[in-house]
Amino acid sequence: MTASTAVPALQAALAAENAAIFGYGVAGAHLTGNSLAAAEQDWTTHNEARDTLAGMIRQLDTTPAATQAFYQLPFRVHDAASATALAAHLEDGVTRAYLGLVAVSDQQLRRFGALAMQGAAQRAAFWRGSTQAFPGLSTP
Amino acid sequence: MPDIVPRRRILLASATALPLLLATAGCRSSSLFAGPDPLAGRPPLGHNVLTLQAVIASEENMINLYRAAINGDSGTTAQSRTLGPLLAQHEQHLAQLRARLIEPTGTLATPSQTTRPSVSAGGGSASTGPIRVTTAQLRAAEHASAAGLVQQLATVEPALAQLFASIAASDATHVTALAGNGLG
Repeated sequence: MTASTAVPALQAALAAENAAIFGYGVAGAHLTGNSLAAAEQDWTTHNEARDTLAGMIRQLDTTPAATQAFYQLPFRVHDAASATALAAHLEDGVTRAYLGLVAVSDQQLRRFGALAMQGAAQRAAFWRGSTQAFPGLSTP
Repeated sequence: MPDIVPRRRILLASATALPLLLATAGCRSSSLFAGPDPLAGRPPLGHNVLTLQAVIASEENMINLYRAAINGDSGTTAQSRTLGPLLAQHEQHLAQLRARLIEPTGTLATPSQTTRPSVSAGGGSASTGPIRVTTAQLRAAEHASAAGLVQQLATVEPALAQLFASIAASDATHVTALAGNGLG
């Protein structure tokens, strides 16, 4: 793994995971039933991903970026609809962050990033209710 | 004008000596100029081009599968409503992949131009007559496509790797959508 390019990409993915963990905490407060169960499952998935990324960063003799106490949400979350939209937004952010890992020179890291993108894109599609042609890419 | 004779001799000598010099040098452009020899034939295609050609052929095959599923005997209105948006996204994938393909003039045609892609999936065959493509076959094809793209992105340039990863992620969401989760 080439640390010079890998570390910034890993830190960006870690930051996106931390933002997702915070955001799901907010969204979950407005969800019930199956949606709440899905949000809790996704929250757990992002916690596990955060720990994985932090471990990878430490292996490169770098300190993982600290979690922020508060993350600015893109819009006000006040009901189930806005909570669902937030979850989709969070997953889009995670997908974009992992796309950065796909551009590094290390082949294993590229694969790791690509597979993580698939998970995030699937979760985003669940919350959005539709698929996208180019997850993570704003202008392909 | 005593200096005319030597000058004329020099000019004559140059005119006769130049071809001789070129002949003894072999007159090969590759030995006179840096870079590939233009007379040596078609240069080999680069790895990115070859990989892109293969991915384009796979995407074309996927589109043919979707069209067969929508138009075939197994196609129902409800199924078409689900498959139509997914097909449209695959057509977007193909357009972007083709836009990235820059082949030097005089190169061989791409695999997609020389061979009609098979529309088989999950054990089907490209036989004559209507081709029945099931949702399960589409799911299998989407799953295989996502996995294949991840394999391919390891060795191509970063921008192309990101496009492959994004398309693979889209294919992965199609697998879920085809499972009947109401996406699409």
